Amino acid sequence: MSAVLISVVIFNIVLALIVSLVFVPILVWMERRVAGFIQDRLGPNRCHIGGVRLGGIVQSFADMLKLVFKEDYRPNSVKEKLLFRLSPVIVFVTAYLSFMVIPFADDLTINGETYMMQALPIEFGLLWVLAFAGLGVYGLMLGGWASNNKFSLLGGIRSAAQVISYEAVMGLSLISMLITYGSIHFGDMVRFQGELIWGLIPAWGIVIQPVAALLFIITAFAETNRAPFDIAEGESEIVGGFHTEYSAMGFGLFFVGEYIAMGAASALIITIFLGGYQIPWLNTITLKENIEIVMLAILVLLPAMSYFFARWIKKNNVWPDPDDVRNRETKWLIIGLIGINIAVVLTLIGLLSFGISSNITNISVALIQVITFVFKLIMVNFFFILVRWTLVRFRYDQLQNLAWKVLLPIAIANVFITGIFVVVLGV
Amino acid sequence: MVDIVFVILAIFAIGGGLGMILFAQPMYSALSLIVCLVALGGVFALLSAPFLFMVQIILYAGAIITLLLFIIMFLNIKDDNLPDEPNKITTIFVGGVLLIPFNILILKAFNTLPSKPMHILGKDFGDIQSFGIELFRGWLVPFELISMLLLAALVGAVVYARKGSVDG
Repeated sequence: MSAVLISVVIFNIVLALIVSLVFVPILVWMERRVAGFIQDRLGPNRCHIGGVRLGGIVQSFADMLKLVFKEDYRPNSVKEKLLFRLSPVIVFVTAYLSFMVIPFADDLTINGETYMMQALPIEFGLLWVLAFAGLGVYGLMLGGWASNNKFSLLGGIRSAAQVISYEAVMGLSLISMLITYGSIHFGDMVRFQGELIWGLIPAWGIVIQPVAALLFIITAFAETNRAPFDIAEGESEIVGGFHTEYSAMGFGLFFVGEYIAMGAASALIITIFLGGYQIPWLNTITLKENIEIVMLAILVLLPAMSYFFARWIKKNNVWPDPDDVRNRETKWLIIGLIGINIAVVLTLIGLLSFGISSNITNISVALIQVITFVFKLIMVNFFFILVRWTLVRFRYDQLQNLAWKVLLPIAIANVFITGIFVVVLGV
Repeated sequence: MVDIVFVILAIFAIGGGLGMILFAQPMYSALSLIVCLVALGGVFALLSAPFLFMVQIILYAGAIITLLLFIIMFLNIKDDNLPDEPNKITTIFVGGVLLIPFNILILKAFNTLPSKPMHILGKDFGDIQSFGIELFRGWLVPFELISMLLLAALVGAVVYARKGSVDG
């Protein structure tokens, strides 16, 4: 094992940790702010550390501290203590493990050795994700059952029924994608999506297979138990569903697990349908050939965008009282921005003037692709949140009718048509 | 290393199997079955069959046991609904003793196996592509026949379910 291999693996695992765990407070913040704006209010924006509020992100950390330090109360009616404690852990762990096979960048070549940019470098990533999507539901079911409470039991049963029906549709929508890409390796899928159709449109999954994309996005919503498919917790009908009896960090793990599952579903949608880490019209080879132009573009664009961002902060974060702590936030943020700019610009100028070796080209391409992936991840998560606060919850029978009578026939027809296309055109 | 992993997986598989038989509460039986199936999946992974490993987890641990648990939860079995099993330990012991000849037979058969060189197989053994080519070239007719069988079972289940709802 070389030092390079170990550092690449550690980098990928840390990255998987960041995009799953560290993203949770940001997603909670996004959720609350978006909910606030949709309901014509502001959402959390008061919590601060020395005046720094970051638009309210600090509130999420305060919430997390609250959950950690609350009394972990377990009702006496709970008989199966082990399962009661185990089920939030199952939800959390399965959601987290499905992040392990998402490729964050194209295969990285350093000193002639190629490394897969996944936390777990295996080639059957799609099966891995499907397996953990199936195991995750045990957390909800067992939590609902072990709570020894009618509402919780109903929530558990509902989530089981929902996952059983939607997993069938999800599998079938993925089969048509497998026929299209001809591989179950996520890396191959994303490389396929780096090409162009007729030299014009990026060959993203959503362009080639819009029906499968729609089906998969719907089932991904159902698998993550988010509105409009959140009948498992349906607070207006069954109190809190499977997590009624949980308090403090037991509930916290369910809560964090839900956001990690949402992130994992977004990462899957990106990888299979939205081009993964690829920038449209700039696939890995083009990026590597034009790395100097890309660096120059970053050199010009980053300071310009930071300038406008700083002006926006200065315009919007002004308080009449000069001693107001919130005025300090402007100062700190602008100092931070300038620091980032100086660091990036100096690095880029240094690289451009001293010449770029092939290792540095490969590493910078990988970094650019990681940033692209994270940007796409935030955008798809934003879409998840928008849908949650726009659509109303399905009634139980509507949910099952939709799965078995609408989505399943469409999915099977889609597989059939895709198969005919591949056989007739011989793609 | 491989032996240690195998022993751990085997302990989990046997423990899960025993738990499935011994627990009175059906929920725990189903959960023990999951442990057993996941451990068997691990054994498949050890035998360089990653595709079988993933399919074992997706189908058995993921889908079939979910269905089973769903039904158990749906029935909501209480402790006093469970039957009395006064001679459970004796019955299991007698059953185990009766199975000893069969175990001896298997051990004998195992010992007569010709010895083969044990080495790590090539990278593409048991991966999805070679598996699929083998399945759909050499074993296409059995594969289709099994899917017909499953389809027949599915249609039968639907027919029975409809009969109940029409007649009340």
